[in-house]
Amino acid sequence: MKKIKQLHFGLIMLMTFSMASQETLAGDPNAFLLGGDQGQNTGALTLIPIAIVDVEPDPNNTITFGGIGTDLEAGMPILSGALNGVNEELWLNFTHRAFNGEHRRIYVRSNLPIPNGMTMTLQVINSVTVQGNHSALHHATPIELTNVNQPVVHHHNESGYTGNGVGHGYHLRYTIENPNALTLPNGFEIIYTME
Amino acid sequence: MKNTLLFLAFLICTHLGYAQILPGTITVSQGTVFLQQDTATAISEAGLDDTESNMKIETPVDATLMDFILDETNFLLTSEVNCTANIFLYKVYIHTTGAPQNTVLEARTFENSGQRFPLSILYDSAPVLGARDLLPANGANYIPIPNNNSGEATKIFEFKGCREQIPIQFRALPSVFATVGTQGFQIHYTVTATLI
Repeated sequence: MKKIKQLHFGLIMLMTFSMASQETLAGDPNAFLLGGDQGQNTGALTLIPIAIVDVEPDPNNTITFGGIGTDLEAGMPILSGALNGVNEELWLNFTHRAFNGEHRRIYVRSNLPIPNGMTMTLQVINSVTVQGNHSALHHATPIELTNVNQPVVHHHNESGYTGNGVGHGYHLRYTIENPNALTLPNGFEIIYTME
Repeated sequence: MKNTLLFLAFLICTHLGYAQILPGTITVSQGTVFLQQDTATAISEAGLDDTESNMKIETPVDATLMDFILDETNFLLTSEVNCTANIFLYKVYIHTTGAPQNTVLEARTFENSGQRFPLSILYDSAPVLGARDLLPANGANYIPIPNNNSGEATKIFEFKGCREQIPIQFRALPSVFATVGTQGFQIHYTVTATLI
């Protein structure tokens, strides 16, 4: 009877050892043992190039210069303050994923000619990266706008993004000089492109 | 003596039936997992990283179908017989090798996805070791998959008993710093078996 009890004890110990050794394998997926298996298949990720810009605040990025002053008096000259102006409300944002490591630039132009006698200049007065990641440099000196593309931002890294919204990217200053009190043509726009 | 023999028979049967994990085989089907970006899934708001796109790059729900079935022991103990008599807990881990840089790849499946194998057995009426169900990790939400050669992997789901046609869906979150074009990679599936 004593031998039988010893046999029972031996069998139970053997089973306990067997179960415990298998349980420890679950935490190591690369070392699966009997009972598990490994398989594999292939994956393919296809990404497209991205090059987008916008001027914030978007969509409310229309700016107005001039207008009729409240102190106008018939018979008196129009004060110059109503004809020249500066606007620093707008910010330029971009996102760029380069194709084959190409560098791009952001250009600016007007869609219609600016009337003779009126001058409009653009200057990037600050570059701020908030929640973005890029190292593109801007053209620091004022640019006299025409309907021909002129570079505003030069990319030194292939890809990047500025962060979105006012206070992110490039702070724009528009200056207008309009001594002859001319009006911009209907549908006049300032267009930015990344090329 | 009779009692001792019965006890021995019980121990042997128990050991063979439950204490020993039987070998099984994983089958991964559906071929290559394609994650394809288009203009709808790329970022459309200038200034944001591509990872913040509202429309994600996703595969169909069943981009991969996975089976895990116990092996046939002999002509009597077929896979179906073994899967009927042996209920183990399986955990499925996934990792990748050679995955594109600056991209997060994720995977998921869904509550009780796939189907039991065999579809219905006597055990299901009294599941003493728990129902033969599938439980996705992270509430069936996407889980990032590690990319490495060391075999470190993340559990995506677990299930009890043999199971087949388990759909696995993938998603990619690429940064703008990820490379344009098509890049291939390997997806590794590791199943571990444990006693319940």
